[in-house]
Amino acid sequence: MVEQTQEYKPSIQPSEEGRVLPSGEREFFFDVSTSDLEVNMGPQHPATHGVMRVLLRTDGELVTGAQPHLGYLHRGAEKIGENVEWLQYLPYTDRYDYLAAMNNNLGYSLAVEALMPGLEIPRRATLIRTICAELNRIASHLIAFGTYGLDIGAFTPFFYAFREREWIQALFEKICGARLTYSYIRIGGVFNEAPPGWLKEVEHFCDVFEEKWKEYYDLLALNHIFVMRTKDIGVITPEMAYDFGLTGPMLRGSGIDFDLRRDMPYMDYTEIWEAGAYQIPLGSGEKGTLGDCWDRFDVRVKEMIESIKIVRYCLGVIEPGPVLGDVPKVIKVPPGEAYVGIENPRGELGHYSHSDGGKVAVRCRVRGPSFVNLAVLEDLMPGTLLADSVAIIGSTDIVVGETDR
Amino acid sequence: MDFKAIYDHLRAVDAPGLIEADEPRLPDKETKDKGRSGMPFVRIEPASFVDFLLVCRDDPKLTFELLVDLTASDPAADDENLWVLVQLLSVKHKHRLAVKAYLPKSSASIPSATAVYRAAQWHERECGEMYGITFVGHPDPRNILLPDDWVGYPMRKDYEFPKEYHGVSCE
Amino acid sequence: MTPPLALTALPQEQVATTPNPGGNALLDLVNKIGPPEWIPDWIVALHAVGAGVGILIGIVSLIAMYSVWMERKVSGHMQCRLGPMYAGGWHGWAQTIADGVKLLMKEDMIPTGADRVLFIIAPGIVLASIFGALVAFPISYDFYFARMDLGIFMILALGSTTTIGVIMAGWASNSKWSLYGAMREAAQVIAYEIPLGLALMAPLITLGTFSLLDASALQSDWFGMKWAIFTNPANLPAFVIFWIAALAETKRAPFDLPEAESELVAGFLTEYSGIRWSFFFMEEYAAMFLMSVIAAMFWFGGFESPATWALRSAGVEGGIFFGAVCFVTLVIKAFAGVFLMMWLRWTLPRVRIDQVMTMGYKYLTPLALLCVLIAAVSEAVKSLLF
Repeated sequence: MVEQTQEYKPSIQPSEEGRVLPSGEREFFFDVSTSDLEVNMGPQHPATHGVMRVLLRTDGELVTGAQPHLGYLHRGAEKIGENVEWLQYLPYTDRYDYLAAMNNNLGYSLAVEALMPGLEIPRRATLIRTICAELNRIASHLIAFGTYGLDIGAFTPFFYAFREREWIQALFEKICGARLTYSYIRIGGVFNEAPPGWLKEVEHFCDVFEEKWKEYYDLLALNHIFVMRTKDIGVITPEMAYDFGLTGPMLRGSGIDFDLRRDMPYMDYTEIWEAGAYQIPLGSGEKGTLGDCWDRFDVRVKEMIESIKIVRYCLGVIEPGPVLGDVPKVIKVPPGEAYVGIENPRGELGHYSHSDGGKVAVRCRVRGPSFVNLAVLEDLMPGTLLADSVAIIGSTDIVVGETDR
Repeated sequence: MDFKAIYDHLRAVDAPGLIEADEPRLPDKETKDKGRSGMPFVRIEPASFVDFLLVCRDDPKLTFELLVDLTASDPAADDENLWVLVQLLSVKHKHRLAVKAYLPKSSASIPSATAVYRAAQWHERECGEMYGITFVGHPDPRNILLPDDWVGYPMRKDYEFPKEYHGVSCE
Repeated sequence: MTPPLALTALPQEQVATTPNPGGNALLDLVNKIGPPEWIPDWIVALHAVGAGVGILIGIVSLIAMYSVWMERKVSGHMQCRLGPMYAGGWHGWAQTIADGVKLLMKEDMIPTGADRVLFIIAPGIVLASIFGALVAFPISYDFYFARMDLGIFMILALGSTTTIGVIMAGWASNSKWSLYGAMREAAQVIAYEIPLGLALMAPLITLGTFSLLDASALQSDWFGMKWAIFTNPANLPAFVIFWIAALAETKRAPFDLPEAESELVAGFLTEYSGIRWSFFFMEEYAAMFLMSVIAAMFWFGGFESPATWALRSAGVEGGIFFGAVCFVTLVIKAFAGVFLMMWLRWTLPRVRIDQVMTMGYKYLTPLALLCVLIAAVSEAVKSLLF
């Protein structure tokens, strides 16, 4: 074994005020000893965004330790992937990050397509995929925006966010018939042609959303109480972000300029980037410290408007054509292994597919960004107040379906 | 850097435990090789797993800051090896590297990568419970997704589904 | 107006002849009619008090109920929704009644580990103290249940007794979340009682009375617009401080930390359900109304408005119609305050406990003291000049 370059830090730190006895009790200088209170935040708790449990050690309002416990929503998605056909697995991908099902479909399809070198994806299909993925990114970030407001205690932005999300869902309903679990982006393209007039409606949505976005930003992100609650809280330094393997808005919130769409391009994102259609918002430490909760929130909110720009670019260049490549009914994937990571709203969604040439996968690994991003909680929570711990969980923007898969 | 350059550089710095590069190839009828598509890997010795990751992280030409994914795979029920697969990503140089190590099923054990990347911590817990791989030196090797009292390693190909769980029939 | 009783030392024989010097409009009315001789006086008094309590509870329950309905409609319209629309027909006016019936029918649950006695009496204490405080709430100049010269003192004293009930509920629930809620409530109320009381000093200095009725009567000049908030420069900042403190006292957002649903599940309410829970709910809305009544009485002219001025100059003073106008004026003003509270609640995020404490002790308390000083100085200057 090599020497450890980094010492493992236990998440529960001894207090400076008193000596911590081996039993966990804390001895104070005066003649009283108190012990920390252990509280279960979850599995049924409004702040955990699903069935996750965080075991908190608290000293009054002060959180001295936190330990996430997962697995309440574990459905064995990876094992299922080894037992169903390639295309049959597609609906299961909807279910892990159920707020960004289009992106999941896309990630899985790209991973399988990486094993099928002869398969041509029509350009129209690629553009529709991009539009859907970006619209779904907006929908997902709207949830992140709204529920973060809820975590901090502001109810109303949540409903505004849901109003716009409802619109996106209606658009998706028109194109694929489903509102949450789409299974629309398929191996080889997309399931069907967009209905007539759909692209016009998307454009209308973009026009309206751009106006509304500014209001939302002013209403919540620049609200003084909101800024007070989120600045300097849960600071993730760039080193920490690297160490924990954070991706997506969590990484960019720490000021690291990295986006898979631009830096490890897939589909037509290189073309869109080169056309100058979008930028990558980064955490700036504008309101407090670089990498605090406000920065992460800010990155998410600003990403919505960049997604709108991408959608607009795609709407500008889209032309009629086929939307599905030449794929058979029962897909046989040539033997091989591929890992494809795409930029999900929450970070890098990686699919590792391993085929031995048969009808089912040998291994169907899903690398969920929420799962990885959640690990940072153990380090962020100690030393904060109880209300801050809620703000920190909210700023990681997890979807429990994905952490547990 | 592309995979070829990364591999050459790893050879040049004599990265510990590096065995070979496994690249996609076309099918060959004469050798009855079905070919392989997808992405290239490097294969390493499990024993020098941590040293290899350290080189990957700290070498100025590689700088893989992120351990994106660490997972395992059981290629077949009759295969004698389990695979451990690591996906590395460099933010600075914008390249990826996939690393693979073969572990014999009879003694599936590998040094833990948590000392190099703390991102590995939860991934290793998951691999441990799903495949029964022991990560030597892991600070907290509990189950993460499965209950603490779960018997067997569900992601192995020879796993048999239990007939009941805590008195509840699963059939 | 009757001179404040405490200031006029009445001769002993006069006190004995004046029935009920504390003042209960119902008792006065009964005494005026003259009950039959054979009924003892104490039975008459008891019945009058009982009727008063009945009327009060009726009014307050109605107000609380319609505050709930209003909250749902206000929040609904602020959030691009409609709120209740079905129960009762017109805009769901009967929704709260339906909810109340449902809550009455619900199973009465007490957690196994709870302290049963405290758990049961806590909602009672909360509701009783807020009703007690509302005793000093006058319906009009001639109709009141307790005419007290130190009415505002009694309101503040009884109004903050609800905290005891809340802490009791939090402790008795035997849930950690409830305990957190109770502790937060205790810390918050202690921190905000001080600025609340101090901010109230500014209009009290301006008006020179502790009695709600006198305070209202003193603001009747200037066509019914000689409101305290206009007559002293310290009163506007004092009102802002009072309002912030009142939000904290009534546990309304942005100070709803004791029940902060995203942090503490439901705080001290976590283990409560059914009718007991609805007691806390009613207390919240009654307290909101009470705080708004205080604000209306001491800053915004109480019963006085151009309408009452017009009636008075037309010679209509006293009597049922004038009383009704007074009552409606006050209720409109109070509901404007309640609406402001709702508006704030549905707009602002929640502050953190340390920020609550900082704001209370470091900013609001000194500022309130400053307001008292300015109010006193400007009153002194006024009395010297005019």
